[in-house]
Amino acid sequence: MADATTAIWAPRSAWAGILHEGHIGLAGSTSITIAARDGLGIASLIAPAAGEAALAEAVKAAFGLDLPATPAIARAGHHAAVWAGPGQWLLLAETRSGFSDALQALSGVAAVAEQSSGRAALRLSGPRIRDALAKGCMLDLHPVAFPVGMAALTSIAHIGVHLWRAQDCPEGAVFEIMVARSFAGSFWSWLSASVAEFGCDIVASGASIGRG
Amino acid sequence: MSTQASNKQPCRLGSGGVIDRTQTRSFRFDGKRYEGYAGDTLASALLANGIRLVGRSFKYHRPRGILSAGPEEPNALVELRAGARREPNTRATVAELYHGLEARSQNRWPSLAFDLLSVNGLVSPALVAGFYYKTFMWPASFWEKLYEPLIRRAAGLGRAAGHEDPDHYEKAFAFCDLLVIGGGPAGLSAALAAGRSGARVILCDEDFRLGGRLLTEKREIDARAGSEWIADALAELASMPDVTIMPRSTVYGVYDHGIYGVVERVSDHLPVPSAHQPRQRAWRINARRAILAAGAIERPIVFAGNDTPGVMLAGAVRAYLNRYGVLPGRQAVVFTTGDDGWATARDLAAAGASVSAIVDPRREIDSALTLLAGKIGARVITGVVASASGGRALRSITVREASGREHSIPCDLLAVSNGWNPTLHLTSHQNTRPVWDESIHAFVPDALPAGLAVAGSAAGRLSLAQALEDGARLGAEAASACGFTPRAEMQPPKTDPESLGLSPVWRVKGGKGKAFVDFQNDVTDGDIELAAREGFKPVEHLKRYTTLGMATDQGKTSNIAGLAIMAEQTAKTIPQTGTTIFRPPYTPVAIGALAGHHRARDFRPTRLSPTHDWSREQGAVFVEAGPWLRAQYYPRPGESDWLTTVNREVRAVRSTVGICDVSTLGKIDIQGADAAEFLERVYINGWKALPVGKARYGLMLREDGFVMDDGTTSRLSETHFLMTTTTANAGKVMQHLEFCHQVLWPDLDVAMVSVSEQWAQASIAGPKARAVLQGVVDPQHDLSNEAFPYLAARAVTVGGGLPARLFRISFSGELAYELAVPAEQGEAMMRALMAAGAEHGITPYGTEALGVMRIEKGHVAGNELSGQTTARDLGLGKMMSSKKDYVGRLMAKRAALVEADRPIFVGFRPVNRSERLRAGAHFIGIGKAATMENDEGYMTSVAYSPHLGHWMGLGLLRNGQARIGERVRAFDPVRNGDIEVEICNPVFLDPEGARLHG
Repeated sequence: MADATTAIWAPRSAWAGILHEGHIGLAGSTSITIAARDGLGIASLIAPAAGEAALAEAVKAAFGLDLPATPAIARAGHHAAVWAGPGQWLLLAETRSGFSDALQALSGVAAVAEQSSGRAALRLSGPRIRDALAKGCMLDLHPVAFPVGMAALTSIAHIGVHLWRAQDCPEGAVFEIMVARSFAGSFWSWLSASVAEFGCDIVASGASIGRG
Repeated sequence: MSTQASNKQPCRLGSGGVIDRTQTRSFRFDGKRYEGYAGDTLASALLANGIRLVGRSFKYHRPRGILSAGPEEPNALVELRAGARREPNTRATVAELYHGLEARSQNRWPSLAFDLLSVNGLVSPALVAGFYYKTFMWPASFWEKLYEPLIRRAAGLGRAAGHEDPDHYEKAFAFCDLLVIGGGPAGLSAALAAGRSGARVILCDEDFRLGGRLLTEKREIDARAGSEWIADALAELASMPDVTIMPRSTVYGVYDHGIYGVVERVSDHLPVPSAHQPRQRAWRINARRAILAAGAIERPIVFAGNDTPGVMLAGAVRAYLNRYGVLPGRQAVVFTTGDDGWATARDLAAAGASVSAIVDPRREIDSALTLLAGKIGARVITGVVASASGGRALRSITVREASGREHSIPCDLLAVSNGWNPTLHLTSHQNTRPVWDESIHAFVPDALPAGLAVAGSAAGRLSLAQALEDGARLGAEAASACGFTPRAEMQPPKTDPESLGLSPVWRVKGGKGKAFVDFQNDVTDGDIELAAREGFKPVEHLKRYTTLGMATDQGKTSNIAGLAIMAEQTAKTIPQTGTTIFRPPYTPVAIGALAGHHRARDFRPTRLSPTHDWSREQGAVFVEAGPWLRAQYYPRPGESDWLTTVNREVRAVRSTVGICDVSTLGKIDIQGADAAEFLERVYINGWKALPVGKARYGLMLREDGFVMDDGTTSRLSETHFLMTTTTANAGKVMQHLEFCHQVLWPDLDVAMVSVSEQWAQASIAGPKARAVLQGVVDPQHDLSNEAFPYLAARAVTVGGGLPARLFRISFSGELAYELAVPAEQGEAMMRALMAAGAEHGITPYGTEALGVMRIEKGHVAGNELSGQTTARDLGLGKMMSSKKDYVGRLMAKRAALVEADRPIFVGFRPVNRSERLRAGAHFIGIGKAATMENDEGYMTSVAYSPHLGHWMGLGLLRNGQARIGERVRAFDPVRNGDIEVEICNPVFLDPEGARLHG
């Protein structure tokens, strides 16, 4: 098809019209940084009964990843796997290119469903990020209780979230968080109110999954 | 120390107190301007300015002053702030003074000094205990119209703002090994002991300054001033990274599993919250252990006129002297039943007040105390205070000596001390009752909530030494229990000597005037006696009958006296009489804090379709559909009402083509070798024979045989299905499927996951639907009727290779398709469809037009899938397969569910075609009375059909299918509707389905 036609099919970010680069909240202070994570490849993997070992093997072979057996995130190269329930994971890829083909390799060993478009993801970091998350997250995110690499499925502000702790960055802890796309606006309403007292920069997407 | 007669703060001492005299705070009370200092409460600032009359009482409108210096205050309730921030019933004793504070006295009219309703005091025989139940019994209509409005006007305590609260509130969650409740000597010791071991500690104190009673007493620890000990403790705690100190934070409730409710008054001490700060924050703290170190509350004595402004708790007098540098009176008398009150005489004298007498009924007094009395020139009187008088300000008291001789002493301050009640409220939040401890004449905690320990005064161990010792010991124990190693025990600090002798007097009879037990509710000793005479003897009855211990203070200063008088009336002891139990909250909590962020639009989350912004651009009016906002209709300029718009949208679809967002429908991806078998079991109809690439309508039942949901499910491959659900039931169906798989048939090889959010989906309906799609779907896909027949369902591509799914299904009865693309392309899909359909006049339509067309086609929807209908009721009984088992099969066969007389789904049209139908109208036989017995069903859905030119309805009518052609009344008393309707086939348009297959 002609370029003029394909242009209209450009994907629209789940955060379009919601998240705007710049500073929000307390002026002259940045204790939290937020970046939208657009363009991730995301797929849910569900192992058939008694098929977890085969799936783990296939994931290892295709992506070099060890599927976590507990709520955690495993990373290898440009891919990661996040525990999403007993026998269920989300497979994440830094880019979409080749993602659908890569998923084909797993179709025989898992129920695979692409979810790349259905999730809205953010990367949250900074010295006060735990204090902001504490305004909605009912889990203990203190380093002794929630170390780097740990993941959780929980709810914030009545919205289901999938979150995990990435490698710390020099400014402090880093969390990545995903909500269902349709909730992005309401989630942002809570998050923007919760970070305001600390001062927050909203920046373009940067680091790779799970890294600081 | 001497008083400095400053004009501005005439009762402020020249020095002393933990106030900042360099920081003046100006404020207004009843419109008049005053000054106080940073560190003052409103109460201490009022007293510094010589203001003693601060409010009128609830029932009798008696003048009231300041009784206490803490959260137990029953009298000094004021309206704080103005306008939308106005807050009634704020206790002046805990309201931190800020610059520009505005407060007004309550419950007075027209003014505080002259209150017309104080005549209630003269008609008081009518207002005794139980007056609500006795006085206004007859006639019933008078209650609503006369009595209640009168009482409400007379008895209100303060006025609500009546405007939306301009501030915002937050909720927050915290976790710790040890939660310390109270920052006095016991609490600080506990936090230190646990913090030193490395435990995560949170210390909450309701006060804005930590130190508890140590701030208000002249005490020494290790031969240094108490204030120095506090400063050292706070400095050490601040150096510990995992210790959090939360001032202005009240622990208001103890809940299961170590969960504590806390309200943090983040900005109550400021005129308006700082930028981006909430007014208050409600915390839920998860604590592995907790230590209650909340101290104790002093008790008043019941005697005539004991509510006169100027009668004050002795401990509160010391607080005003020592913490705030305020002299609450110049000519004082102390009435005490224990050693503790004598300290007030000492501190008053030291501050320059004249203490004319110390009245103590005990015959034997420690010689050190009598020596002290001599030193300060106070007469020691063995006896009691029988009454206090003065009206708006105390002028004199009448003392009754042991001999019975009475005489009067002029004074402007009476400090009253009758022992202390441990602040044990939180210990009984899980339904455990405290027990009576005769040694301190007070209730003390007994059984405790799991994980909670009690230290110091709150445990009935009232000395400073005990507080320090308990805190250190229990703090270390809590740390050990959480797996930390406390430091070797250090020698407990040494404190100066104190004596705690006490012999309380619950009331002094025979004085002239009313003697109050509960100041806030105007409950007198006479009311307790009356309750006893009338049989309301058990404590719970006593409370309800007299209102003793109700309202904002929950009887913090009154309960024991009430119990003691009831015990006396019934010849029992206080422990035999019992005590009511304390429930959360400990002190009032603003609803705003509990709501936090979740108010107005944020009350609950809103879900937006991936095409939402596009619909908004098109001028859509949105409607709430569960959590979703869906486009209801798309008005165009010049269209004056919704019906005009909807008629246009319906006509456009039926004549050319329209598009409608259906992204909100639930989509469940079902995969596995047993996926078809799984569908066989959850749907009533057959699925195994469904070919790959085809969709089928399915209906599922609940276990009880009623319809749960419907939708189309498509077979994408032998082992892969895509189920759709209604918008409303998407979550419920997902849960149901998971339950079926995990619990009923775990052996089936099937996996399911919601893909509702992944796909944006649009319905393209109308004779030109195919033509439009051909301009959007990539050309290699053959969409001809032969290649892509009715109910075809296949993967296609759009925009030159983007993945999409196309389903030929129809809700409107037209040639129709649903096209699905990844959600991030949803908006693009709508634009592409609009562009491709421009030449056909493509029209966006909303849920209203969708509803009209489904009614024209007789399709059931939410109104019919009400949870009370069976497949048979909906005319779908033939779908129920007899060749297999499925959820709900047996229960659907219950006799009552297959009766001929059940309401069955049929169509209706008005006999007079110009009449409007109303959903909710009930069907009644022609000529029959509109009674419940004659009710034959009701209209579930109605719409105006622009094609038929009249209203049409769907409904459930007794034995409906067999009665087509008959007429019934559609009776709608709510909207005065009563018209004749004709029973008809529910498919109003194109019953042969010619349009569908075009």
